[in-house]
Amino acid sequence: MHRILIIDDEDDIREVAALSLETVAGWEVMVASSGAQGLARAATYQPDAILLDVMMPGMDGPATFRELQKNPATAHIPVMLLTAKVQATDRSRFADLGVKAVLVKPFDPITLSQQVADILGWS
Amino acid sequence: MGSGAASQLSEAMNRLWEKFLPQMHERVGTLQSAAARLASGSALSTDEQNKAGADAHKLAGVLGTFGLNEGTELAREAEGLYGGALDPEPETAARLTAIAEQLRAIIAGRR
Repeated sequence: MHRILIIDDEDDIREVAALSLETVAGWEVMVASSGAQGLARAATYQPDAILLDVMMPGMDGPATFRELQKNPATAHIPVMLLTAKVQATDRSRFADLGVKAVLVKPFDPITLSQQVADILGWS
Repeated sequence: MGSGAASQLSEAMNRLWEKFLPQMHERVGTLQSAAARLASGSALSTDEQNKAGADAHKLAGVLGTFGLNEGTELAREAEGLYGGALDPEPETAARLTAIAEQLRAIIAGRR
């Protein structure tokens, strides 16, 4: 069973994404509501992948990603950014960080897990 | 996905919608208050404008997830308007007022 960590400060998005990945794909989902909490949970639980929101107060998604990359315990974990920004320039800027993919909010709860599986080669 | 899982997901989504409905209304309330102030000729403080933009951004990200794609588009438009230097023209306030009212109706109409 795949293990996914969702890091998002918005509780509605966090719960919908978790519900989707658990119900549709049967994956084990962990959640964190801030970048700092996400860093700790990623190091402790060693998920197979991370869904990381871009806009968060305090440590935002890109800053959290950079911290994940600095830590040898988490640098290997593939990260997908989740953003409601739809401008191509924003998405390109996020992709240039070195993340695995940039997913756009709103997502479809029925197809989210397939989208993630396709990106990670889990299909 | 099998019909059983689809039904389970749909039911769970409806429960989450009910859980987060007060939050949706609160965010729309922020947009309505900001638009009303603009319509009255008052300027928004930086904090008020940022809060309105942030709440519009959150609505844009979540409404489509619950099948309300029109709500996402409207919220994105509001986010764009609050995100820059706010045009003081009455038409801008009128548009933001209309968007907030439409969002309220879309949210109320979800079954």
